[in-house]
Amino acid sequence: MSTLIMIDQPPYGSWSGREALDMAFSLAAFDQPASLLFTGAGVTWLKRAQDTAGIAQKSVERNLSAAPIFGIEAILADRSACQKYGLDESSLITGVTLVDANGALLEQYDHTAFAG
Amino acid sequence: MSDTSETFTLVITGAPYSSQAPQTALGFAKAAIDAGHSIDRIFLYGDGVHLASALCTPPSDETRWPQEWADFLEQHSIPGIACIASALRRGLVNDTEQKRYQLPAANLLHPFEIAGLGEWVEGRMTSTRTLYFHAGG
Repeated sequence: MSTLIMIDQPPYGSWSGREALDMAFSLAAFDQPASLLFTGAGVTWLKRAQDTAGIAQKSVERNLSAAPIFGIEAILADRSACQKYGLDESSLITGVTLVDANGALLEQYDHTAFAG
Repeated sequence: MSDTSETFTLVITGAPYSSQAPQTALGFAKAAIDAGHSIDRIFLYGDGVHLASALCTPPSDETRWPQEWADFLEQHSIPGIACIASALRRGLVNDTEQKRYQLPAANLLHPFEIAGLGEWVEGRMTSTRTLYFHAGG
């Protein structure tokens, strides 16, 4: 049963994205195939060289870089959202695959979920 | 039960009194049971863990959603599980966690339990459908 966990909130204004990441990691820990899809403002999670020193929060970049180690199958980002937020391959972290977040993509998964 | 009966895992991520998620989920759960389906478990995640607080005290003319849910879970012997990471962050603890972190109180409402995301993973595998009740907005 393959699962797509979707994150559509920016990383530092809401906790739901971090909890979505935990859901994906948990699936992978139990050997359940899981991928992440970043859409809307959620694509800002994927920006390279995030500096969170000024807001007393942990950077999500390190969490995300652990995704392949935990066994997350793919980190997907909606192409049009990346364009909207001015993110291209040079400003994204490594290991991100650009996709069109549409029905055809979601149909490839048995289960899709948001954290909140 | 007929061949078309479903087994549901319900995930609630919206808190009572700031979202309608727990109320909507309870309405769904009751309708599902009435229609001959079964509920495998309830999993509270994110802000949804506030539903398991024994300390929610709305005005007397408002529904006590934690108690309504607790009564329903007991009546149908359905496990209600609050995610431990979500719960600890938001100040929802049972006796075990109170002792572990030397906290001044425990506030988990019976029969809710605290456990890990593995309960959600297992619920998805043993249920025919998993539904999410979010805060929305």
